[in-house]
Amino acid sequence: MSEDGYVILSIDDLDRFPGATDEAPILMPVRRRAGFRPFGINCFAAPRPGQRVIERHFERDGDEELYVVLRGEATFTVGDETFGATSGTLVHVTPGTVREAIARDEDTIVLAIGAKPGEAWEPAPWEDFHIAFAARRSGDAAAARSLIAETLARHPNEWQGQYNAGCFEALEGDTEAAFAHLRRAVELGPSDVREYARDDVDFVALRDDPRFTELVG
Amino acid sequence: MSVTHVDDLDRIEMPNGFVWRPVRRHFGIRAFGVNAYTASEVGGPVVEEHTESQLGHEEIYLVLRGRALFTIGGNEHELAAGQLVFVRDPALERGAIALDGDTVVLALGGKPGAPHTVSAWETMFASVPAARDERFDEAIAIHEEALREQPEHPALLYNLACMEARAGHHLDALLRLKRAVALEPKWAAEARADSDFAAIRHEPGFPA
Repeated sequence: MSEDGYVILSIDDLDRFPGATDEAPILMPVRRRAGFRPFGINCFAAPRPGQRVIERHFERDGDEELYVVLRGEATFTVGDETFGATSGTLVHVTPGTVREAIARDEDTIVLAIGAKPGEAWEPAPWEDFHIAFAARRSGDAAAARSLIAETLARHPNEWQGQYNAGCFEALEGDTEAAFAHLRRAVELGPSDVREYARDDVDFVALRDDPRFTELVG
Repeated sequence: MSVTHVDDLDRIEMPNGFVWRPVRRHFGIRAFGVNAYTASEVGGPVVEEHTESQLGHEEIYLVLRGRALFTIGGNEHELAAGQLVFVRDPALERGAIALDGDTVVLALGGKPGAPHTVSAWETMFASVPAARDERFDEAIAIHEEALREQPEHPALLYNLACMEARAGHHLDALLRLKRAVALEPKWAAEARADSDFAAIRHEPGFPA
């Protein structure tokens, strides 16, 4: 932020944080970079045609979202509908609708805006975790662990944060820390955590431990 | 789900030259403010000069296409497609003119720490074509729809009174204006100078 109370950015200057696989969208944080506070804004990029530019998901916490294709072209699937979206296309999706988008063009970039109607917006932990996991994959586990600790301090009672911290520690080989986070996640959101954890490859190293069966069934 | 292209949004030409392309209203978005703007001509305004002091909004302007010359707090910046300016300080005067004929600017805004509420200016902007063509019943209906959600909004009541006065519904206009002034006394001074109220200015009870 400049001392003048405003800041100018280019989407080409935004940081790029890859996802878990080469097929996953690359996160380009806008809200975080600019310091914007009223609602969530990020860009997602897919350098290659065929790569996901919007992950398949629905908004479990009730956010409505607007996607704007800024560059390139993508195939969106929203609910039962599939359609092409060129630069300048706007797609509005209600919270419970499953959506995804796959790039058709090189360096496709989609702006995603989201918030929950009727509630003051606060940053969710997923952004920090995406960045932390990208740091881990690039070899900087210490930076990742530090960011996760900051996130958990801000969101101590959200199962998603504890769950992802458990994933991180399982991947890092710290079984005791992984179980501590997973146990706390189950306390905070038992049905959600059990649904996801059973098939989550991040927990492969824990599966033969009786504590895993005890926690997630 | 709904989908559209920015070029297919409504085009509402505003009296001071820029063109409002309503996005939030098109989709019925409740959680955040989002609109697009184009210009009537090269060199014409694409973002009107204004501050966000009254609403306390932080704003992001993202150039989707073309180029625009922004003036933010007296400083000029030329922004091309893919560049954005985040104006954190609501008190900063901001505006932009289009440097290319097909310039499109996406504007995002909201108040930090508060649930989003639909801004009254959107209703006023939406009623401009009807008011300009003297289709006052339509302009009144647009305001009444907004007032169902925010029944005690002074600016909406004031502007509805303007439309009712111009439509010849003098008693309705007077009652509405009195309510607006009761909620926010500053509207009395506005009403004194507002030509929309010429027909009711001398009525007993006109709040001036």
